[in-house]
Amino acid sequence: MRRSAVFNTVATIAVSLLFGAAVVAFMGHSPLEAYRELLKGAFWGRFNFGGTLERFVPLLLTALAFAVSSKVAVFNVGVEGELYLGAIAAAWVGVAAAGLPMVFHIPLCLVVAMIAGSLWAAIPGALKACWRVNEVCVTILANYVAIYITSYLVGYPLSAGTGVPQTKALTATARLARILPPSRANVGLFIALAALLFTWWLVHRSTWGYRMRAVGDNPGYAEHVGIRARSTMIWGMMISGALGGLAGAIEVMGIYGYFLDNFSPGIAFDGMLAALIARNDIRLVPLLAFFLAALKAGALGMERFTGIPKSLVDAIIAMFILLAAMEGLFLLRRRAKGKEA
Amino acid sequence: MFDDLSLVFNYTLVHATLRASTPILYATLTCILTQQADILNIGVEGIMLCGAFMAVTVSYFSGSWLLALAAAVLVGTAISAVMAVAHLRYKADIFVVGMAINMLALAVTRFLLQKVLGTSGSFYDKAIVPLPRIHLAFTDGNEILRSLFSDYSLFEPLGIVFVFLLWWLLYRTVWGLRLRSVGLNPLAAETAGIPVFRKKFEVMLYSGVVGGMAGAYLSLGYSRLFAENMTNGRGFMGVAAMFFGGGDPIRSWIGCLIFGFTDSVGSRLQSLGLPPQFILMIPYVATIAVLALALARKTANERRARSALK
Repeated sequence: MRRSAVFNTVATIAVSLLFGAAVVAFMGHSPLEAYRELLKGAFWGRFNFGGTLERFVPLLLTALAFAVSSKVAVFNVGVEGELYLGAIAAAWVGVAAAGLPMVFHIPLCLVVAMIAGSLWAAIPGALKACWRVNEVCVTILANYVAIYITSYLVGYPLSAGTGVPQTKALTATARLARILPPSRANVGLFIALAALLFTWWLVHRSTWGYRMRAVGDNPGYAEHVGIRARSTMIWGMMISGALGGLAGAIEVMGIYGYFLDNFSPGIAFDGMLAALIARNDIRLVPLLAFFLAALKAGALGMERFTGIPKSLVDAIIAMFILLAAMEGLFLLRRRAKGKEA
Repeated sequence: MFDDLSLVFNYTLVHATLRASTPILYATLTCILTQQADILNIGVEGIMLCGAFMAVTVSYFSGSWLLALAAAVLVGTAISAVMAVAHLRYKADIFVVGMAINMLALAVTRFLLQKVLGTSGSFYDKAIVPLPRIHLAFTDGNEILRSLFSDYSLFEPLGIVFVFLLWWLLYRTVWGLRLRSVGLNPLAAETAGIPVFRKKFEVMLYSGVVGGMAGAYLSLGYSRLFAENMTNGRGFMGVAAMFFGGGDPIRSWIGCLIFGFTDSVGSRLQSLGLPPQFILMIPYVATIAVLALALARKTANERRARSALK
């Protein structure tokens, strides 16, 4: 089963890339050159590789957030909202707590952002756990509410007073250091990787994680052996929300240096897709997040040097996701062939 | 202060509300159709966007809004057919399929905007023929009557007709009964001899038709241009309105009107320099509250019923 799943993923990638190549060729460009520029744009040189890394961090964290909540059988589509709230919380602490030394200021920002995200995620979690309210629709709606809240905060109480709705710049003690200048990649990468390891440990090696997985797999069984399914579900959502908030905080503290109204073009939705393709397997999540980040970063280089619009790469990614979601697509073919033989 | 409020709340709000709610209404109808067969059609956003692009392109090149509408419907149906094959035949999670379709639509329309229409951002041209507007000559003398009743785009009153038509189809015809039984209990439906797979596929195609119309209205009725990501979450608002009404067309329409109302009020407040965000939040918060209260009551009832039996 494992091997066929790998085969399925590889076949899916190949088909989507071939499709992209066909479109590029149809447009009168050389597909080989386009893909070479894509690779160069993702990995060649500090700036390009940094670009991949800076996209990798939020994708990884939001994908993790989605994967964790799915362990307790909650479909958390609200990571985008948690990301926004975490981002504005970090931006607020980054300005308001000026004067703290860096060793306290940065953790404080991160913790406040994670609390903001987790409290927000607790609402749909509690609604689902207590009253079985469909979490997908609550979280979709909650995203809009969260974005409007941040939009109000950045437009009025926390506004920097400039024409563009944004907060004041964070003090230097709340900034995450850049690791590959001139790109915007920053030490948030290591925070994200630490979060990945911790989450993996939490879910697969700790008692808490056992409870979470038990509740996710079979709430009836979990309740029977004395696990409190409801509170476990809410805790799972809160961990997920904390990861989303962390992603937002790193965006603000590492990439922008301030909170900008509507800054995220659906980062968490990309992360969610990475988690979905990985089938919420925490070991596969970083690989797919990295793959998507590289494609997104490389697309910019490809557009610059070949004139092929980067939207083509987005289309290829979407195709890939669509094909990857169709479980049986390549497997069935093979089984049919096997029968004939 | 009261002067400001009368600028926000006056008779022109009726027209503005109807106009702003119509794109959401079509998105909602798209969702309701599939939701009744227990398929959450998250891909409305993508279907609408492709429909909107197709409508503008065809209208620009052919100069006919009828052709444009037909093309948009065709594209919508094609996309929903792909979704149906992926979900029903190859067992893909409908949620993933929908999100992928949204992403694909955004990328493809951006790509084609650049390659076919030769611009990026947005495309506007005098040669784009919009959907016809209904002008009622007898209202010309009276400003208030004209605002209330005249100058609607064809698809605005038609949307209201569709609401009642769909309600009738769902709750008063055999077709609707079968469709709802497929959604409520597929196993029972199968046992009763209803072809579940075919029924689901069929309704996906119909939702594509409505989704395509939604797109055509958005680009040729609501506005007269195509812009990147011009749906801007309206598909999701449609999903929200569908949840608000619990899949019932009439109650969902009320949800759409609330969306349209808050949207119009919000944009007026913003032009006066007042924060519009809290007004804009209302429909979302209201939908969550409606859902939570409905289910809270249901669980409480179930609990009471259970304890009575024991």
